[in-house]
Amino acid sequence: MRILFLLLSLYLPIEAVLSQSVPVKIERAWIQAVPPVSDATAAYMKITNLSSKPLKLTDASSPIATRIEPMITTRKEQAGKEVVGMQSVSELIIPAGNSLELKPGGDHLMVMGLLAHPNEGDSVKLTVRFAPGDQKLDLEIPVFKEEPK
Amino acid sequence: MSETISDHQPDTKPIVSSAGTNRRLIITAVALSLALLVSFLFTRYSAYRTVQENFYGQALVPAKEAFDFHLMDQNGKPFRLSQLRGKAVLFCFGFTHCPNVCPTTLSDLAKVNRLLPEKDRQRVQILFVSVDPGRDQPDVIKKYVPYFDESFIGLTGTEAQIADAAKAYGAFYEIVRDSSQGPDNYSVNHSAFTYLITPSGTWKLIYNFDQLGDAKRMVHDIEQVLGE
Repeated sequence: MRILFLLLSLYLPIEAVLSQSVPVKIERAWIQAVPPVSDATAAYMKITNLSSKPLKLTDASSPIATRIEPMITTRKEQAGKEVVGMQSVSELIIPAGNSLELKPGGDHLMVMGLLAHPNEGDSVKLTVRFAPGDQKLDLEIPVFKEEPK
Repeated sequence: MSETISDHQPDTKPIVSSAGTNRRLIITAVALSLALLVSFLFTRYSAYRTVQENFYGQALVPAKEAFDFHLMDQNGKPFRLSQLRGKAVLFCFGFTHCPNVCPTTLSDLAKVNRLLPEKDRQRVQILFVSVDPGRDQPDVIKKYVPYFDESFIGLTGTEAQIADAAKAYGAFYEIVRDSSQGPDNYSVNHSAFTYLITPSGTWKLIYNFDQLGDAKRMVHDIEQVLGE
């Protein structure tokens, strides 16, 4: 039984994390591998708010980057064409009992000022902060070159 | 069948007046032109449907001759699209400091390239055109684009060369500066289409960003274009 738990605990960080400190479930968390010449990348995950109150994702940090910001991807019509842009936001809201999907081409955590360039197969420490209060969630997320499907 | 014939027989008897003959002629003419119009529209419609249904990408109807852009490749050498005649070309516009859309586009295209049968892969070239020549010098783009797939070629150029290429393919981009950041720390908003050029140099299809994730259907389109 103990071995089973041990195996489960080894398995959980990749598939899903049920946090002790913050009432969330984290699924499919990953960070995009980029070449050393690149100074920015993005982290993605599905966050489910398990509480009965809305949560706000306010900030994140990692030893591999100088700054991480929650971002939304904007899609605007400009001269009849769809233009994709990004916008930094102070928070991303996760309604009670609902999920926030951070995904390529959508909302994401922009990882800026890269200090290291982890490769596929590595994992990266990431701390995500939530409001109300300063609820911290420490994660260790895998690095992928392509979106895992 | 015999009933139908006998039903019509009274009409064909030569006792009908000349006014009746005229009227019948007019009716016949109207019916004939209607039939022609319907069959013409149907042919056009089915041709349109064929184009739309056989391709996953959005087809340009009619397809256009691909604008022969003059840019600079990742080795600093002049590069023209027409150098790739005989190959199907997929290309997109972006910039290397792009954290979300461009790495996703390039990794999706890498997946497409990998899924192509070997013999077809040799007849396909994937390109990435920078819209940020200020930061994306050839040496920078060389360290970026082939990272996603060794066969990919990154292109840059002068502002004017890039503007010409973007304009010809209806791409849009604009530099977005944040006054709190340094002069080299800016983002670029851009359209995120991928274009498919046939081996004979015809611009045939456009993909939007969300379509690139379906590598199988992308491969199907490329194989059709290679088989034409």
